[in-house]
Amino acid sequence: MSAVAFRGVTKRFDAFEALAPLDLDIASGEFVTLLGPSGSGKTTLLNICAGYLPPTSGSLLIGGRDVTALPARRRNIGMVFQNYALFPHLDVFENVAYGLRARKVAIAELRRRVQEALRTVRLDDFGARSVRSLSGGQQQRVALARAMVIEPDILLMDEPLGALDKQLRKDVQIEIRRMHVARPRTTLYVTHDQEEALVMSDRIAVMRQGRIVQLGTAQELYSRPADSFVARFLGESNLVRGRVAALEEGRASLAVDGFGAPIEGRPARGLKVSDEACALIRPEHVRPVAGGRQARVLERLFLGEIVALRLVSPGGVELWSRLFSADAPQDDVIEIGWEKERVSILPEAS
Amino acid sequence: MTPAGAWTKAFAAFVAALVVVPVLATVPLAFSAQSFVRLPPQNWSLRWWGAFFADPSWLRALATSLEVATLSCLLSVMAGTSAALALPRLGPRVRALANGLFLGPLIAPVIVLAVGLYALARALGLVGSTIGLVLAHTMLALPYVVMNVGVSIATLDPRLALAASGLGAGPWRVFFTVVLPSILPGVIGGGVFAFVTSFDEVVLAIFLAGPSVKTLPVRIWEEIRVEYTPVVAVAATIMIVLAGFGLAIGRLTARRRA
Repeated sequence: MSAVAFRGVTKRFDAFEALAPLDLDIASGEFVTLLGPSGSGKTTLLNICAGYLPPTSGSLLIGGRDVTALPARRRNIGMVFQNYALFPHLDVFENVAYGLRARKVAIAELRRRVQEALRTVRLDDFGARSVRSLSGGQQQRVALARAMVIEPDILLMDEPLGALDKQLRKDVQIEIRRMHVARPRTTLYVTHDQEEALVMSDRIAVMRQGRIVQLGTAQELYSRPADSFVARFLGESNLVRGRVAALEEGRASLAVDGFGAPIEGRPARGLKVSDEACALIRPEHVRPVAGGRQARVLERLFLGEIVALRLVSPGGVELWSRLFSADAPQDDVIEIGWEKERVSILPEAS
Repeated sequence: MTPAGAWTKAFAAFVAALVVVPVLATVPLAFSAQSFVRLPPQNWSLRWWGAFFADPSWLRALATSLEVATLSCLLSVMAGTSAALALPRLGPRVRALANGLFLGPLIAPVIVLAVGLYALARALGLVGSTIGLVLAHTMLALPYVVMNVGVSIATLDPRLALAASGLGAGPWRVFFTVVLPSILPGVIGGGVFAFVTSFDEVVLAIFLAGPSVKTLPVRIWEEIRVEYTPVVAVAATIMIVLAGFGLAIGRLTARRRA
């Protein structure tokens, strides 16, 4: 039984369909990230899960129990808001203790649990501090402790790292991942940052226009994206447009104008012969190969241990290649190739 | 900002004097030894203070004023805070209408209100009752509470209440532990305004007062019509001090929390 299950959940705001009928199952202790651009419905889904927003139709099950009609305060959820929403008139201890006081937990146990939560986020000695005196990163950790201390059935996080600077964000990502591995909690995490999603998640749901386009592990999404949208959203990608020329079990070839021989690769589901489609070739797979396709180097970007090359075929098709600096060719015209097992033929996202 | 020039300063002092002098002129009168009102007093004494505190009708008027002001302050704070909390949840049209209605008592001439309220109070048998005057002053004070609390609510992060209810707090707990502490400066500010509004209100009080419900301003007005002695200045000075106290309390609490 899944810890959290969305069953045909939809949300309309007047004429705007914020969520198309949507199903999602989260296993107990699993960290699932909703990844998508703004307006894709990920925060709406989170708010429905928290009970801040009623779905237009469908139901939500937590621990097998239908909680669709329950208000937020009866759901046992832990929410971390984007700008933390700490109570400014309470000190750190009382902020963390808030949910326990609402649950009328006895004072001795309350003290013990708040201290433990503060220790988990490494703020042991901050109990008496005013939350306004804390840095952004520290406030973020107080918000996390406040949400975790009530032992929620599900931990919800709405872009909690959005307000932090880049270096701090990386540290906190790793910190949250480490905490999750040490003590797995069912978590639903919302972000538009692919790196955040890749670092922290057990599974990622890529969302677009109120739908989950693809749900899978980071590796699955990266190596076998469902369509060009997912491919573009996760990692760097070369997407070469063409038309499906041949299709058989596990193999397809894509005819591309001005690119010579068709590109072979593994087809995504739902493709038909002569469909418009594109070939995904990750830049790190585009390598110099003797006897390969001819390409001219238009640009060389030195990125430290990596060099990015912008290449163009004689027919005008552009490709990026990312190579270890030591392996990068010096010539202006090179021959390139890739392993066709690494290539995916994907439907063009509408 | 550039430093103020001499002329600017002089002009500011002039305006301040216009505002303050008439108020402060009352104070020396209260310490006059003469039995008639004349500025500046020739001799000084506390005899009119003695007269004030020796006369039960003055003391009763002071007590009535304090009672009416306290009650209408409490009522208008409760009603006004509730209204200010509800306003942002209304649709835009209803909200605009409700806002206009709440500000009505500020805009309508007080004498018009007085005539209307007098008719209403007569119909309800509330003329000459404490409760009638308290309700009338509550209505007059309501706009100040709605406005003051409204400003505080506008700066309140709505996610604080969401966070609290998500942590398991019911509506009352959310209000008393999260919303109220955050908007308290506005509530106190509105309450002080409400108290002072009622405390120095005279028009409605004259219309609605009976022999048993006579506030200090009404008593002053009656006294002046009969004979103009410095005991009136004593009553006025007491009012200035109490109103000043109220405003100071409001300011201090607002600053401490800001």
